[in-house]
Amino acid sequence: MILLALVVPAAVATWLLTAGRSLPHRATNLTSAVTSVLTLAFVVASVVLRPEVDRAWVPSLGLRWHLAVDGISAPLLLLTALLGVAVVLHTRERPPVGGTSAAFHACLLLVEVGALATFFARDAVLFFVAFEVVLVPMWVLITRFGDAHHPAARAEAGARFVLYTAFGSTLMLVGILALVTRAGTSDLGVLAQDAGRGLSPTTQLVVASLLVAGLAVKVPVFPLHTWLPAAHTTAPTAGSVLLAAVLLKMGTYGLVRLPLATVPDGFARVAPFLAVLGAVGILWGGLACLVERDLKRLVAYSSVAHMGFVAIGLASGTRTGLQAALFANVAHGVVSALLFVVVGGLKERWGSADLDTARAAVREVAPRLGFALILGLAASLGLPGLAGFWGEFLSVYAAWSPGDDRSLGLFRAVAVVAALGTVLAAAYALRVARLVWAGDRTSPPIEDTRGSEWDVVVVLVLLTVVLGVVPGPLLSLTHDTVSTLVGAGP
Amino acid sequence: MSAAAARLVVLVPVVAAVLGLFLARRREGLDPRAARAVAVGGSLVTLAAAVALLVGVHTTGQDRAVGTLPALAAGELRIPLLLQATTATALIALVVAVVGWAVQVFAGWYLREDDRYGVFAATVSLFTAGMLVVVTSADLVLTLVGWEVMGWCSYLLIGHWSRKESARRAALKAFLVTRLADVGFVLGVVLLAAGAGSTAYRAVLAHWAPATECADSLAAACAAPDGTLRTVAMVLLVIGVLGKSGMVPFHDWLPDAMEGPTPASALIHAATMVAAGTFVLAQLFTLLEASDGARWVLAVSTAVTMVWAALLAFGQSDLKRLLAYSTLSQVALMLSALAVAPADEGPGAGVLHLYSHAFFKALLFLTIGWLSVTVGGTAAATLKGGLRGHLLLRPAMFVGLLSLAGVPPLVGFVSKEHVLSAAEAGASDAPVRAWLVLLAGLLTVPLTAAYCMRAWLVLDDLGTADVARHEADTATGPVRAAVAVLAVLTVLGGIVVFTPLIDLEGHLGWFVALLSLLLIAGAALGVRRVTASRYGAGEDPARLVGARQPAFDGGFGVDRLYVVLVARPVLATARLVVFLDREVVDAYVRGAAVGALLAGRGGDRAHRAERAATGLAWVVAGAVTVALAGVALR
Repeated sequence: MILLALVVPAAVATWLLTAGRSLPHRATNLTSAVTSVLTLAFVVASVVLRPEVDRAWVPSLGLRWHLAVDGISAPLLLLTALLGVAVVLHTRERPPVGGTSAAFHACLLLVEVGALATFFARDAVLFFVAFEVVLVPMWVLITRFGDAHHPAARAEAGARFVLYTAFGSTLMLVGILALVTRAGTSDLGVLAQDAGRGLSPTTQLVVASLLVAGLAVKVPVFPLHTWLPAAHTTAPTAGSVLLAAVLLKMGTYGLVRLPLATVPDGFARVAPFLAVLGAVGILWGGLACLVERDLKRLVAYSSVAHMGFVAIGLASGTRTGLQAALFANVAHGVVSALLFVVVGGLKERWGSADLDTARAAVREVAPRLGFALILGLAASLGLPGLAGFWGEFLSVYAAWSPGDDRSLGLFRAVAVVAALGTVLAAAYALRVARLVWAGDRTSPPIEDTRGSEWDVVVVLVLLTVVLGVVPGPLLSLTHDTVSTLVGAGP
Repeated sequence: MSAAAARLVVLVPVVAAVLGLFLARRREGLDPRAARAVAVGGSLVTLAAAVALLVGVHTTGQDRAVGTLPALAAGELRIPLLLQATTATALIALVVAVVGWAVQVFAGWYLREDDRYGVFAATVSLFTAGMLVVVTSADLVLTLVGWEVMGWCSYLLIGHWSRKESARRAALKAFLVTRLADVGFVLGVVLLAAGAGSTAYRAVLAHWAPATECADSLAAACAAPDGTLRTVAMVLLVIGVLGKSGMVPFHDWLPDAMEGPTPASALIHAATMVAAGTFVLAQLFTLLEASDGARWVLAVSTAVTMVWAALLAFGQSDLKRLLAYSTLSQVALMLSALAVAPADEGPGAGVLHLYSHAFFKALLFLTIGWLSVTVGGTAAATLKGGLRGHLLLRPAMFVGLLSLAGVPPLVGFVSKEHVLSAAEAGASDAPVRAWLVLLAGLLTVPLTAAYCMRAWLVLDDLGTADVARHEADTATGPVRAAVAVLAVLTVLGGIVVFTPLIDLEGHLGWFVALLSLLLIAGAALGVRRVTASRYGAGEDPARLVGARQPAFDGGFGVDRLYVVLVARPVLATARLVVFLDREVVDAYVRGAAVGALLAGRGGDRAHRAERAATGLAWVVAGAVTVALAGVALR
């Protein structure tokens, strides 16, 4: 089942890139839609059945083709597969510019395959390989299919994205190799069970620093975030959605899977830095959003702030914190996907995303789009009843009462800063609402959303509300695995 | 029965809101009647559920742990998501339901030509749901959920007429100011929950209770909770409450919130948002009572607000803003009861004032709103003489203002005197604090009477009366019924103190009551006399403060203070951050790129030497080096 979920989209993508290049947009989109729906079905089946694939891969190095599902990866797998369908649907009525439709869809599918493989992987080296698979198709999406008005910005953003994250990956690879050679196995399950026993404190610290630094680029944690706004501004809507909702999640997922699980003692020593940087990121991102003029960049900066909460939750060293981080992770995936669909749609209609230009109030001329926008903004500022609240509240709680081996004073300061960050979130969300959503201008008119775009928006809105009103199922899903990972909690 | 009723009380308005929103999304063609039916019907069912809750609590007994959704598995923290069905929650839930119903009925008529009535009605339903969650909650997280949902709904309601710049600004200001204070609330909740390891009220109260209460249990379990931490937590919580209730220094958002449609103002001011803090603190009264610091913060802020707002109310040129300031003053009064009431009296006086304020303030707002439809505005100059000749509005406004002023036997008198008596009783525990509140209260009493008298003189002005315009009154039967019900409750609501519906340990101090009656009479007569003499000199009763009018209308410049002290510095920091982000944080990234590029050029140039001989020379040099190295290493 797991293999099917990976092989089917990969095969279709390859076919699209080679034989299917001349297909018209409609046919390509249909093929991709069917593929992504099938993939979603396979992913759902594997989340329910929890099968495991374990085959030798490179026997001489002890590498295994080991794939499985557990409570931590399940929500992310579902999110990825669902958004995989969403982005293909979203593309239905807007043929990509800058290249063939087949290449565009193939890239979308490849990103999905890479992300799914990352979340399925139970082998450290396999994880790394899958992690890297995503880079090239994403680069193509940004540089080839991005913002048609600014070719130079596109190339720059794409190059920056690839080089920056590849640099992070290199650090991570060194960390993985150091870990694997010292521990003698690359199986993540075994590594997590050993939890760093048999490794000297220095080794643990070195491995943890390398892994955290490498993965922090992907998350991104302040001050390694500058690739994100550029990439988001130029990427096409589908790319932005995948970038925010899937790629960033790979970073946080990696933080849980690798340093936190395999070298907990080393991670405990890096954690205060991570927490402080997370808190700085919350303020930094929030403040930048207050004066940012480009709507897409603004949403990107808000992502930096939101990922700050995730970083704090991870660093707190408690089960609550980890639960918070995992929840906030998924919530941010859904909410930022919603915001990027809406904002991307607005940019498409306006021709630019500049906030200083006087435009018609979205509430007046496009009520549906306005509704989605205000709901997304409300979720972004952490309104209870919507997805964003639980992760942020629990993160603040976890930072206030961190694990026994964490510095109490420092983490409490972080909790206060994070709580203040929610005011900034409110300020920038309402700033956008005041500039874009509300107003008295009704010209120039823009077309309201309908068709596939509206379908995608509806699904994301529903997800946002459901996660916010009924957070129980998701929290229970991650609960058991979290308990095995953080045994040290009180 | 009470458990089911408690769940219904919360669930019904939520369903009404969702349904209403769904209807509102259906555009042209569907007349607003469907939305109105859902909204008013939902509020009626809520009302029925609230009655059932009250009956249930008094027949089948209280239930302090009503389950809702399954408890959340959030690691070490337990979040059971409980509601409760107790005497106090049942009574206040009923009050909220009554006001919610009246507001829905009124809004259906008031906004009958508004193209966004459907959204408005759905938001009102959601707002009511938020308040009912806060009221019936037995879990800090649920309280926080209701609390924030109310905040958001207030943003939407205040900014309902979003085509107006002033409404957009007022909505933004209201949300940001309250949200800033909410940081305190969130952190307070986190602190309390972190100590107890659970968010259930019962666990929190048990954990943080003063040590004396567990003298006979196990020594380990009886370890005294950290008093300082408790005080910090309660101070934080109080800050959140001050923000939501519009107490000094957060008060300036509330008068601006008058930009919202009048039904929204009635809802926000009467039974929900601003009064919510009183109820939350009443639930946690044992903790508040044990934290002297928090009570001091509360006492000082409410004492200042009481007088300040009453003073401002007197000088407003817009009667709706006058009511807004009077709300501040009255809410300060109810919160002050919690700041000074002695432990054995409990929070009863504050809750009682919440109860009575809900009725007479809703009545006043709906009356003003109704009148403004007839005469076309809420400015004092426009409303002058507007009441004359109206058979329902005139008596309704009359009892509403009397109740606000605290004239016996109206409901406002009963509760206000209970608050003042609580302050008097509290003087034995903490004399300074209690006297501060009592003096502020006794200063507020004549001021309140004065502005009520002024409002009445304006509204009932004989000289400009125009009875004929009431003939065109289009108010529907249900609207008349709603106003009449509120008026009756305003007159007779005080009876509640003789029933078992409310836990009231306090009493009514006759000396204080007599004193305040004298003050009321004196102030009212004074205003009347001054007005009469000015009126005789040809001056307008609407203009009582003369040239100082702009200062009063501007709230003495507090808005400006917010901008200078908070908004500007934050924006300046934000600009700095953006600059740093571009020029410092990003600089090393670009630096790395430039460095790599330079290195690449250098390498490129080295490999593009023009003469082959140079290259050959290098090859030879290399070969020699390798050979030498080989020889040396051998």
